[in-house]
Amino acid sequence: MLVKNFEQVVRFYEARQDSNGPSIWLPLVDVTLITPANSRVSLSLLFDTGASFTTLRADLYPILGLQSWDQGIRVESCTAGGPTIVYRYIYTLEIFGKTIIDCPIHLSSQLPQNPLFVGLLGRDTVFNEFGFGFWESTHELYNTTNP
Amino acid sequence: MNYSTKVYEDIEVVKTTTINSAYTGAKSPVEVLEILDRLGYETYVTKEGDLWVKYWQIGAEDFVSPEQVAVIRSIRPSLERVDELDWLSKNLQNIRGRYSDQWVAVYSNEIIAAASNLPDLMSQIGGFDRPLITFIPAEPVVWTFTYAS
Repeated sequence: MLVKNFEQVVRFYEARQDSNGPSIWLPLVDVTLITPANSRVSLSLLFDTGASFTTLRADLYPILGLQSWDQGIRVESCTAGGPTIVYRYIYTLEIFGKTIIDCPIHLSSQLPQNPLFVGLLGRDTVFNEFGFGFWESTHELYNTTNP
Repeated sequence: MNYSTKVYEDIEVVKTTTINSAYTGAKSPVEVLEILDRLGYETYVTKEGDLWVKYWQIGAEDFVSPEQVAVIRSIRPSLERVDELDWLSKNLQNIRGRYSDQWVAVYSNEIIAAASNLPDLMSQIGGFDRPLITFIPAEPVVWTFTYAS
């Protein structure tokens, strides 16, 4: 039997479209962004193994100290609806108690508006630092900081 | 300027800026005291009606290198945080009714600031450590998604 050890459990968060509607469970991760002004803000990101890069909504650009969302490195990225243009930046994040320096972050104007998350936690640079176990039936994400 | 003088001046700045800009969102003195209790502050009200709060916090910027942060934090965990996201998800219907089409900052289970644009919001939350930032859309939220362009 294959055995993996995890130190942390992150519970999914429950959302309801209305008071009588069905529950929707989202694997959300609290990520701390170190801003250029050296302040720290907390952003909720959807855990997304399908996202190559951590991606934030374009209209978050003021937090990143940018004058516009599209002044970074232009990158073509695939979505379910076809290719789209995103812009790449480098920032420092804190995730599960680890500091991820020089983490690539994409800004995209194509992410949906959702009150519970402002972007996607993607694989590049971030996932190398952790090991994950995904347990949909119990609405839990297992995590180790020593993969 | 010697080191002790610099420390003294920094503490004076904290006294005159952070405390003056503290915002609780409370609607009554009792509610203020309850919030301070939750945050772990010792308080008492004098017979003259003044509020005294036992509070101190001293910081040292760049105390450890970025590489050492995770190591230090793993052996000396930070103070436990309130799960703002949990509170947000459980109170989402009320929050959407009140803060529709605004950016909001959540801290210790309170909306501490709201604004129609992000720079205005950021200007209100300078004294808070790691407030949760999100946008409350006015339009109906679609909860299932593929990322079509």
